[in-house]
Amino acid sequence: MNKKGGILGIIVISIIIVIVASMSSSNNETFDVDMTRTHGSISTALGSPILGDPLAPITIVEFGDYQCHQCYNWFHNTKPMIMRDYIETGKANLVFVDFAFLGKDSPKAAQATYCADDQNMYWEYHNSLYNSQESKIDSGWANSERLKAFAFNLNLDMELFNECLDSEKYSKRVQYNSQQARDNGVRGTPGFFIVDSDYNQTQIGGAQPFSVFQKILDSMI
Amino acid sequence: MLEIFKLVFFNYKFFTLSVIIFSSMVITLLLISEFIFLEPYFVTHIPSGSELGFILIVVLSTLSALVIPMNIFRISHFKNSKQKISGSIFGSIIGSAAGACSCGPIGFAVISTFGSVGATATAFLTNYEIPIRIFAILILFITYFTTIKSLKTECKVSF
Repeated sequence: MNKKGGILGIIVISIIIVIVASMSSSNNETFDVDMTRTHGSISTALGSPILGDPLAPITIVEFGDYQCHQCYNWFHNTKPMIMRDYIETGKANLVFVDFAFLGKDSPKAAQATYCADDQNMYWEYHNSLYNSQESKIDSGWANSERLKAFAFNLNLDMELFNECLDSEKYSKRVQYNSQQARDNGVRGTPGFFIVDSDYNQTQIGGAQPFSVFQKILDSMI
Repeated sequence: MLEIFKLVFFNYKFFTLSVIIFSSMVITLLLISEFIFLEPYFVTHIPSGSELGFILIVVLSTLSALVIPMNIFRISHFKNSKQKISGSIFGSIIGSAAGACSCGPIGFAVISTFGSVGATATAFLTNYEIPIRIFAILILFITYFTTIKSLKTECKVSF
């Protein structure tokens, strides 16, 4: 009887452990997003918040990796002019979708941006990563300690941020975004899709100059 | 040095070979390094901070276009050792490979095909792009001067 009771006890405890583990695992994957958000053929539901007017007639979808130096070039050379002429004027908006494939620190850096988004600081964190990028891939500039330091510099709640980053809460979100890139034929970073209100989309590969974006955006307005 | 230069490049075959090597190398490397784009429009640009990379590509292509034809000339005319041409081809290849991976389609293809090994190789070639290109240029410079020296000696003996 005692033996049977012992076995039953072990089974019950095991079931409880499995249920608790699965509940805590499903809690890690829960986040508040609009899963219906798409731009052209791309599901941007798990991408960044929209930068600029959400009702703008044109959306620029950028696929990028935080360790990619060409993304850094585009961020510093082309994006400021697009911000000035199209995003700040309400003609277009921008969504960043992670395509984290370059190194082991790339997915972690992408996850960190969503941890910052939990505190409504996505774009500030995104900008601080591209402003702090170092030329060497996986040199440690985007390791967990540095990612936490960037959050600290932005005055984020460090307890929340560290918990989010260490638990890899947004791991699957980043994987989903990278799969979106592959599914849409992106073969390197940065990669762009410019989508108008009629869902016509033009693909641009690489850190192309402002003149290219200007020509396409003006033809869609 | 000028005589050697005239001897090799006043021959239209070697001049044509030199032009082909230079143009194919410079165009390929500028495309891979995103100084030239073909789609959706043809456009060229040098982003600020990338000037050194651009200069190294032009120097590498120029040296390859000089050294490879000179060595082919030397081998075809004097039936000499192939040691120097291997130096020039080695210099051209490692110089071209540096930075060719990066975050563009080649890097993506290498990482997709070879996984973490590909990612490590890509990261190495990207991280050390400038030193590798400088090293390749150094090899080509050494090969250039030793080829000139060797052609001078061989020409004196032959003519």
